[in-house]
Amino acid sequence: MKHFITIVKGDYLQRTRSYAFLVTLAITLYMAYTFVPPLDANYTTVRIGNYLGDYNSAWIGHVTAMMTSVFLTLIGFFLINNSVKKDLDTEVGMIIATTRVSNFNYLISKVLSNFMVLLSIVGIVLFMSIVVFFLRSKDFPFEIMQFILPYVLVTLPSMFLVSCLAVVAEVFLGRRSVIQYILFFALFNIIIANVQLKQGTEMVTYFDPFGVKAVTLQMEDFVNAHYKEEVRVASMGFVFGDKEDVKRFVFEGIHWPLLFILSRLAWMGFGVTLVVGAARYFHRFDVKERIREDKKPKMAENIVKRELAKELKISSLPPITVNYGILPLIKTEVLMLIRKGPRWFWIINLGLMTALVFTPLTISHQFLLPVLWFLQVGRLSDLVTKEKTYQVHYFTYAAYQPLKRLLPSQLIAGISLMLVLSVPLLLRHAFALQWLPMAGIVVGAIFLVLFSSALGILSGGKKLFEILFFATTYANLNRVPFADYYGSMWTSLLPIVILISLTISFACISWMVRAYEIKHA
Amino acid sequence: MVGARKGTCFSIFTLIYLYPLLYIMALVIENLSKKYTKEKFGLRDFSITIEKGILGLLGPNGAGKSTLMKIIATISQPSSGSLVLDGHDLLKEPNYIRKVLGYLPQDFGVYPNLNAYEFLEYIAAMKGVGGPTLKARIEMLLESVNLIEVAKRPIGTYSGGMKQRIGIAQTLLNEPRVLIFDEPTVGLDPEERVRFRNLISDLAHDCIIILSSHIVSDIETIADEVALMKGGVLLTKGSQQDVIKQVEGKVFETLIDHSLLDDFKRTHLVVNTIRQKDKMRVRYISDAPVVESISYQASLEDAYLFLTKATV
Repeated sequence: MKHFITIVKGDYLQRTRSYAFLVTLAITLYMAYTFVPPLDANYTTVRIGNYLGDYNSAWIGHVTAMMTSVFLTLIGFFLINNSVKKDLDTEVGMIIATTRVSNFNYLISKVLSNFMVLLSIVGIVLFMSIVVFFLRSKDFPFEIMQFILPYVLVTLPSMFLVSCLAVVAEVFLGRRSVIQYILFFALFNIIIANVQLKQGTEMVTYFDPFGVKAVTLQMEDFVNAHYKEEVRVASMGFVFGDKEDVKRFVFEGIHWPLLFILSRLAWMGFGVTLVVGAARYFHRFDVKERIREDKKPKMAENIVKRELAKELKISSLPPITVNYGILPLIKTEVLMLIRKGPRWFWIINLGLMTALVFTPLTISHQFLLPVLWFLQVGRLSDLVTKEKTYQVHYFTYAAYQPLKRLLPSQLIAGISLMLVLSVPLLLRHAFALQWLPMAGIVVGAIFLVLFSSALGILSGGKKLFEILFFATTYANLNRVPFADYYGSMWTSLLPIVILISLTISFACISWMVRAYEIKHA
Repeated sequence: MVGARKGTCFSIFTLIYLYPLLYIMALVIENLSKKYTKEKFGLRDFSITIEKGILGLLGPNGAGKSTLMKIIATISQPSSGSLVLDGHDLLKEPNYIRKVLGYLPQDFGVYPNLNAYEFLEYIAAMKGVGGPTLKARIEMLLESVNLIEVAKRPIGTYSGGMKQRIGIAQTLLNEPRVLIFDEPTVGLDPEERVRFRNLISDLAHDCIIILSSHIVSDIETIADEVALMKGGVLLTKGSQQDVIKQVEGKVFETLIDHSLLDDFKRTHLVVNTIRQKDKMRVRYISDAPVVESISYQASLEDAYLFLTKATV
C-alpha cells in the first residue's frame, strides 16, 4: 500500500510541477469567477426558466459545483489523458513493466493521480466560489455545508469518473489523441443532452454521470411550488442576453436522497469496473514489439545489409552550394504536417472541405469551419515545440540563423495548412462578395497558428493550447460571440483590429521566448 | 554558355562561402564559466586553445564536457569568459561558427515521420546548404554510414545505432571546419566504431575536431591531443605522451589474495583487477610499490584514472 501511494504521489507531483498546470489553474480560477456573474452582467450560467437564485451560500455553492462538474469534466479530460502516454514516451513504462505491479494496480494508480490533479483544481474552484460569495452576496449568512456537500456529492464523483475514462481511453486508443478527443466530446454531448431534457423524474437523476440533474430538478420543483409556475427548462452554460424578464428567488439548498448518494458511488464503481476491463487489454508498454510483429518485413533495422559499406573519403563529397532561403524548410514542415496522424483522417478533412461547399454558407462558416480546424489540433499543438519533443533542437538551434529561418517556416506552414483547408469557404465568400467574413477566416487562421505558437513556446508543451483550443471551439459551437475568432458573426472591423493586436502580441512572445531558448538549449 | 555562367556563379559563391574557413586557425577559449547556482558550476575559469586536429575530451560524469560542447555549439550561454574563432567573438557572432559547424549532441532525436533522406535534406536546409549537388552529397553520406538501403524508410523504424549514424551523417552536410562529437560511438557496433574513427581521422587534416567519450580507447587511438576535465575545471591538456608522462614509472601490477583486495584498494589507486584462480591480479598506481610488484608501461587510461581520482 505504501508503494502504491508513493507511485500515485510521484505521478501527481510530476504532473503538477509544470507550467501548463499552473496556467490551467489560473484559467480555472478565472472560470470559477465567471460561474457566478455580477448582477449587471449580460449572461447567466444556471437558470431555472426565468428564475435566478439570489446570491446566498446555497445558490453559489450549488451553481459552482454543478458548473465545475460539467465543464471540468470536459476540459479535465484533455488535461489528464496523457498519463500512460507520458510513461510510454519517457520509457519509464518499460521499467514499470518489469516490476511486480499488476496492470490493474498500475492503471488505478494513474486514475488516482488523475483524480488528484482534478481534485487540486476543484479545491481551487471551491475556494474561489467562497471568495465570490463574500464579494457578491449581501445580507446572506455564510453556510459552509452549502458549499461542501454539492462539491462532494456532485463534483467529485464526476471527476473520478472522468479520471477513469481518461485512462481507459489511453489503454484502447494509445497515442491517437484526436480520436480520443472526438469520442469523448461525442459522449459528453450525449450526456449533456440527456441532462438538459425538459422532462425529468427522480429516476433520471441516477443516470446522470455529472450529478447535476438532481439539483436542477429540485430547483425547478422549488420554483414551481413557491411561485406557481410550470418550469421544466433549467439551463446550464454561458447564456448571453435575454435577461430582461429574469425574476429572483431564494434558493435554500436541496436534500440529498440516499439513492442519489448511492448512485454517485455507483458511477465511481462503474469507472473502476471499466478500468478492470481495460487492465485485461493493457499493452504493458509492449507497443514497439507489436509494431514489429505487424510490420516485421518493413522495419528498417531488419533490412540493412550487413556487408561493409564503402569508406567515405571526405574529398570525394560533392561541393556544397549555399542556400539560406527558407523554402526547403517550409516544404519539410508542410510534409510533416501532412504526415502527422493517421492517413484516414485526411478523408474526414476532405469530407468536411466538401461539406463546406454544399452546406448553407452560415452553417459552413459558423459550425463546420471551427470543427474542421479543430481536427487539426494535433498538427498545430506541437508545430513549434516538436523539435524539443523529439530532441531535434540540438541540431536546429545550432544551425545558421535558427530564429529568423525556422520559426517563420513553421508558422508559414501552419497558416498555409489552415488556409488550404478553408479554400472552399473562402471561394464561396468571394463569389458572394462578402469580404468581412473572408478577412475573418484569413485573420483567424493566422491568429490560431500564432496562438498555438505562443502557448506552445511558453508552456513548453501542447496541452495548454489543446485545452484552450477545445474550449474556444466548444464556445463557438454554442455561438458565444466573444469566442468568434474567424469572422462568422462579425458585423464590424473591430474584432479584426483586436485579433491582429493579439496576433502581433503572440508573435512577439514567440519570438522573444524562442530567442532565449536558442541560447539556453 | 548559360550553363557555364551558372557554373562560374556557383564557384564564386562557394569561394565566398569558404573564404572565412580557409583562415580558421584556432578556437581560443578564455576563462569560460557556466554558473548554475551560487555554488554550482558547470564550467569554472576554463581556458584552452584548440587547433586543427582531434582533441579528445575525457572526464567523469559531471566534468563539464557536454556543457563546454554546448557552449561552443552556441546553444548554451556561458556566465562569463570568451570564445573566439578566427578572431570572431562567438558570443556576439554565433552565426559565424554555425556556418562551419558539425555538431553531434549526446541525446539527440529525430523526426520519426521523415525518412533518412528527408531528414538530412531538412538539416541541410537548416544549415543553409542546397543546390544541385545536395542530393548526391546526401546519398554518399548515407552510403558511408551504411543506411542507403533504408534511406526511404521512416526514421521511427530505425534502431538506436542507425539513428546514431544518421546523427554522424548530418555533421558532414555543410563542409564543416569545426566538428563537435559528444559521445559519438554510443550504440555503434565495433565495426562501425572503427569506420567512425577512420572517418574523423580523414577530417582532422582540415578541421578542428572535439571528441568526448567515456571510452578511453576511442580517444587513445585517434586524438592528437587530450584534455582531462573534472568538476568543470581543466586538469591537463597536451599530447597523449605528455599526459601519460604524468604517471610514468608509477604503474604496477601485483598478485594478492582475494581477502586483501578491499584493504589494498583503501591504500592504493587501483585501476584494474583481474580475477585469477586463487589470487587477484591488481594493476595500480603508486609512488611506492608493494613488494613483488612489476612495473608496467603507463596507458592513457592509467593517466585518466590517476588524474581524475587523485585530483580533488
